[in-house]
Amino acid sequence: MLNYQFDWHLILNGEYRQWLLSGLWLTLKLATVSMILSFFLGLIIAVMKMSGQRFVRAGASVYLEVVRNTPLLVQIFFWYFGSFKLLPAAWNEWLNATNEFEFIAATMALTIYTSAFIAEDIRSGVRAIPKEQTEAGFSSGLSFLQVMRWIILPQAVRMTIPPLVNQFLNLAKNSSLAMTIGVAELTYQARQIESHTLKGFEAFTAATLIYLILSLVITGLMEIYNEKILKPRGAQA
Amino acid sequence: MTCIQFPSKVQSKIQFLVVFVSLISILTGISLAAHADVLGDVKKKGTLVVGVKDSLPPFGYVDEKSRDIVGYDIDMAKAVAKKLGVKLELKPVTSANRFPMLSEGNVDLVIATTTKNPERAAQVDFSHAYFLTGQKFIVAKGKVKTLQDLDTARIGTAKGSTSEKNVATSLPKAKVLSYDDYPQAVLALQQGKVQAVTTDEAILAGLLAKMPNKDKYEIPDLKISDEPYGIAIKKGEKGLVDVVNSTLLEMESSGDADKVFAQWFGPNSAAPLKRTFKITAEK
Amino acid sequence: MEFINSIFGLDFSVIRDNWLFFLVGRYPNGPMGGVALTLTLAVGSVFFSGIGGLILGLLAVSQRRWVRWPVNIIIQTFRGVPLLMVIFWFYFFLPAVFGKGFPEISTVLIALTVFTSAYMSQIVKAGIEAIPRGQWEAGVSSGLSRRQVLWQIVLPQALRHMIPSFVNQFVSLIKDTSLAFIVGVSELTHVATQVNNRTLNYPTEIFLFIAVVYFVICSAFTALSRQLEARTTSANANR
Repeated sequence: MLNYQFDWHLILNGEYRQWLLSGLWLTLKLATVSMILSFFLGLIIAVMKMSGQRFVRAGASVYLEVVRNTPLLVQIFFWYFGSFKLLPAAWNEWLNATNEFEFIAATMALTIYTSAFIAEDIRSGVRAIPKEQTEAGFSSGLSFLQVMRWIILPQAVRMTIPPLVNQFLNLAKNSSLAMTIGVAELTYQARQIESHTLKGFEAFTAATLIYLILSLVITGLMEIYNEKILKPRGAQA
Repeated sequence: MTCIQFPSKVQSKIQFLVVFVSLISILTGISLAAHADVLGDVKKKGTLVVGVKDSLPPFGYVDEKSRDIVGYDIDMAKAVAKKLGVKLELKPVTSANRFPMLSEGNVDLVIATTTKNPERAAQVDFSHAYFLTGQKFIVAKGKVKTLQDLDTARIGTAKGSTSEKNVATSLPKAKVLSYDDYPQAVLALQQGKVQAVTTDEAILAGLLAKMPNKDKYEIPDLKISDEPYGIAIKKGEKGLVDVVNSTLLEMESSGDADKVFAQWFGPNSAAPLKRTFKITAEK
Repeated sequence: MEFINSIFGLDFSVIRDNWLFFLVGRYPNGPMGGVALTLTLAVGSVFFSGIGGLILGLLAVSQRRWVRWPVNIIIQTFRGVPLLMVIFWFYFFLPAVFGKGFPEISTVLIALTVFTSAYMSQIVKAGIEAIPRGQWEAGVSSGLSRRQVLWQIVLPQALRHMIPSFVNQFVSLIKDTSLAFIVGVSELTHVATQVNNRTLNYPTEIFLFIAVVYFVICSAFTALSRQLEARTTSANANR
């Protein structure tokens, strides 16, 4: 008879609770830093994709295709282990000297991967804005970039906020892959507790609940934002 | 007190969280698997499933030509299967997943450079030690003379290994980076991401022999622990433990154990070692 | 290739020496692996999660509260956690329930199926909700039962609209199979790390190569999905 002895006390106290909390902290840090970076990168790619210059547009298309059609895990391995031969020796030395290369490589992979999805979100936001606005901008003498910067993007980004929140949740979930290169985020810590204590059920339940609470809190805030801030304004207009 | 009115979606999410938690607590109440007699099952299905390492020469690795897993641990597995008169099936495991695989019955035995220690012996049963080694380091040549030289270093090893715990104890200020398996730690060493790789000497020797620029690295004589390897068996399977132990003792007395050692660690091997141990019956 | 080699000092001979291993793993001496297993996993789980997604999606829009609620809770749970976590869960849970020797490949197949079904159900739900209410009312008033309206009028239209999204999910699945590596299933990514671990000198070449393999497979299906999308929209425009 395999009698699995559940031991919640072990996970919820002392050292192992500390591991879980530090894992959560790193998950949030990874997701937040990558979110900010991939927002700006996504913005640039989206603008490039809508540019009048054929080569700029083609460049953006290639970027989007390549990034969206390769697994995130492979991209993480590529940046962590594969970038070494492609970078100058001095860069490698500098990166290793930071002592944070695991975090940097994971952030880079997550940023690049997410930027492709954010670029698409922003583009659909832009599409929702009437064409006349662009034309009006051009006829009043603004350049393409000025029209984007001052007229189109501010509106598009506001419309993109719900999908962006969604991307943040995806990032929090996707950051679990960083465990494969030794970033001690939440899933890594759960696994670590499992291998130290052989108490897999408890460790993974704790981590799963943390992920669920995280998504509950964020979507909850989003709902409150939608109902309390967006809707009343919409009703007035 | 003001009453916060949650939007309906939030409410449903809170409810599903409650359901999830209660589901887990129900699970807590039921015991999860029925009685299993591993030895009987192995004989019945005619196959012994053994968890082995698949990228850790010379213990277990995929041979480039035959694309088959070979090594010292694999020869041990073959001997047990032969003794039982059943077919052998090899399953790749890592340091981190080998115990779950064993306790959930995905493998019948784990022969994967597993150190015997009291904490593990509380969770699984071990055979007599079939290999003896000690934990050391691979470092760049001439850089490390004493343990103090590694005091604040970044040290690579594998998740879920005893090496990980030992190095954290003996070098508390060092930053330990745990990868999925040792070769990735060696790759990180070559790329300057860590200053040392630590695990058992026999594994290190095999890894060092595989390194493309091996003349730049060395294994200094700094041992931080003794590591006897045992074959891991699910707790309470006395029949299987007995078969494994008698196989090992017969290998020693017939000289087969010597031959297997000579094949993988002998003078003509990639990573020559001296055989400083004999397989003996222990408590 | 020569050009890239000369710039970065890359050496793709490691791919040439191991190409069969990348393609089929240890087959025929051992179990199938590599690209063959990646595709098997993706095709298998897209098939099952298509069915699972349809069932979950229909239950999620059920008129009965006691059906709709638990189903939506299950869907939201799986959408709220990382796939890696779901794989770990099934890795522990399935053998505990079904006993000894539950193979990892099935574990991963089931984890991928359940996870993707939760996402597919949202596509089905949206597809059904996109059909104008007028059609339901028209169907019911012409004497059909709700069930008949669903199966004969609503679903056929909704499914046609869903096809491009299904193909997109399939592309995600191909990428997601790479996570099977973590529990030791020898699909393409796992096979690549094995070669990387053995050779210790060609990480750039190996990960670049498998990225290209994934890219070729995924972009073929992405292109297909775009074509289908163009066809559905033009078909609608013609009506």
